[in-house]
Amino acid sequence: MDARTKPALRDEGARLGFRLTLPAQILVLFISAFPLLMQLYISVTDWSPLSGLGWWNPWEMWNSFANYTDLAADARFWSALKRTAIVMVVCVPAEFLLGLALATLFADDFPGKRIFYSILLMPMMVVPAVAGYMFFMLFQSGGPVNDILSAITGTPVTIAWLSDPTLALIAVMIADIWQWTPLMFLILLAGLVGVPEDQIKAATLLGANPWQRFVTIVLPKMKTIIIIALAIRVIENFKIFDTLYIMTGGGPGVATETISVYIYKVTTQDLIWGYVAAIALAILIVLSIVAVFAMKRMARARQMAA
Amino acid sequence: MSAIQLRNLTKTFGDFTALKTMDLDIADGEFMALLGPSGCGKSTTMNMIAGMEEPTSGRILFGERDMAGVPMGRRGVGFVFQNYAIFTHMTVRQNLAYGPRMRGAAKAEIDRRVGAIAELLQLTPLLDRKADRLSVNILQRVAIGRSAIMEPAIFLLDEPLSNVDAAFRAVMRTELKQLQRQFRQTMVYVTHDQLEAMTMADRIAVMDHGVLQQVGTPLEVYNNPANVFVARFIGAPGMNLLKGRSAESDRGLVIDLGPLGVTLPLPDELAASLRGARGDVLYGFRPEQVALAQDGRGLAMPVTFVERIGARTIVHLGQGDGAVKAVFDNDVGLSIGQTAVVAPASSSVRIFDAASGLAMRVG
Repeated sequence: MDARTKPALRDEGARLGFRLTLPAQILVLFISAFPLLMQLYISVTDWSPLSGLGWWNPWEMWNSFANYTDLAADARFWSALKRTAIVMVVCVPAEFLLGLALATLFADDFPGKRIFYSILLMPMMVVPAVAGYMFFMLFQSGGPVNDILSAITGTPVTIAWLSDPTLALIAVMIADIWQWTPLMFLILLAGLVGVPEDQIKAATLLGANPWQRFVTIVLPKMKTIIIIALAIRVIENFKIFDTLYIMTGGGPGVATETISVYIYKVTTQDLIWGYVAAIALAILIVLSIVAVFAMKRMARARQMAA
Repeated sequence: MSAIQLRNLTKTFGDFTALKTMDLDIADGEFMALLGPSGCGKSTTMNMIAGMEEPTSGRILFGERDMAGVPMGRRGVGFVFQNYAIFTHMTVRQNLAYGPRMRGAAKAEIDRRVGAIAELLQLTPLLDRKADRLSVNILQRVAIGRSAIMEPAIFLLDEPLSNVDAAFRAVMRTELKQLQRQFRQTMVYVTHDQLEAMTMADRIAVMDHGVLQQVGTPLEVYNNPANVFVARFIGAPGMNLLKGRSAESDRGLVIDLGPLGVTLPLPDELAASLRGARGDVLYGFRPEQVALAQDGRGLAMPVTFVERIGARTIVHLGQGDGAVKAVFDNDVGLSIGQTAVVAPASSSVRIFDAASGLAMRVG
């Protein structure tokens, strides 16, 4: 094969490859590109299903970029965004630290490990809506949480958890941590057992104590998996909805209204779909930045570990 | 002070006995190889010396000090793992500095020691390289340096050359032996490769099935194997062993090799020491110590296979229990199907008791 025929052959290969993957590409186009373009399109109009126009010609209701300028000035949107951020900043680190502690515990053997393991994974299996009802019941004024607090303090406790703006947010975050710590635990455990045992033994022989081993060997080796776990939870937590909506419905007032709850309300109550599309797009951009950042870090970690 | 004594050392895992009442004395500064096939208990022995496993019974002493209950981080033992266990997320410098850093040495002190050890091991130009992209011989030097910087009295090496290709192994053997001469520490070296043990060790402890078979210098275990196992295991190929009966004849004490239809006289000193002992024996001789002879002066056997490996030729003779190998320098004019007459050099003949497998010693 001489140098002249080579590029031609490569072109031939590329063309064949393109033809072979065409069906899959069309499918991907419909699954991701079409909805995205549709959303972008609707977000610059006042279109809604009730406007009487087919989904294919909302251009008749073109409103320039009014949705975006409205969004920039929408205090309820910004407060929902801020609340979502607060939930994330509390829940994700809490889930991470608890998950890491549990994973460290479960990396060694202890009696009854298998049973505890199953119990620990259970919250993850519960349907989020059902978890929402569970915590709704638990946090009633006459519910088990108050009863336990009464028993501990010795005085009757009647905290109205879900009607107090701050306590409602705390209750919602407790539910999220309960449900999603197991996932963090599972991912981190997988990473932890993947740390080469020889290197840990070598560190021990060189005089490192358990804490030093954890910091200098275990954590650096787990870097990639930690980034994956955090990225998954940051993205999921940003979209927090089902459990929260059933517990508080975003209330009292807007005290627990996160971005998903806000979008849901605007969609189903106000029915201004063009505006919803604009909000969703803005959020997509924010999450994409998180994902790209995480993926960059991951690529770098992988490069260093390779 | 850094001599190692193993006293009645036993290790069981459930029903399985990995090591059975092992007694071994390793002198200060000695290079001792633990040699045996996989599953012989050599790694278990090593792990117990390092403190990674607790003995089921028996004692380990470093000098006069009993090591029972001393955790592995406090034994002052350097350990080189089979795969080196280099911290791949660190640089060479960080690997070398790990021990002193964990023990809280001052920054200047660490730098000085890392510099010195890197100089000794010729790692200076590589100090700032990431440890995940190093060739095997450099990994080995980093592994040794990382342990050596702690100045351990005892160095343990767990088959450090088993992941290396054959050509490279020869280079690394020499390098390791030179390093040991530099450090002058007591070294215990676990291997299943007799070539490594023979070339590097001061003494070899041959093990099988959790039992220590023989301890001696490389030439001792080669020339005077204590039993049938050692005779077969040491040497490539191992010692030839033929079933026979010892009997008195007018030529003196002879070994009647039954099915081969030959009787061979024994060398005088061996015959003298065996006089009076009668019965089933194994007649052993090294494949390297045979010569082609005329009919009636040796074992006449059919050639079944010829391996020509350049400098040496290995000739396989006979079949089943009566199979024998002979090694000749250069080529020999033998081919499959021919009958060859081979005569073992009388000085190389060793006699083993057929029942116990133990060598019948000269003198």
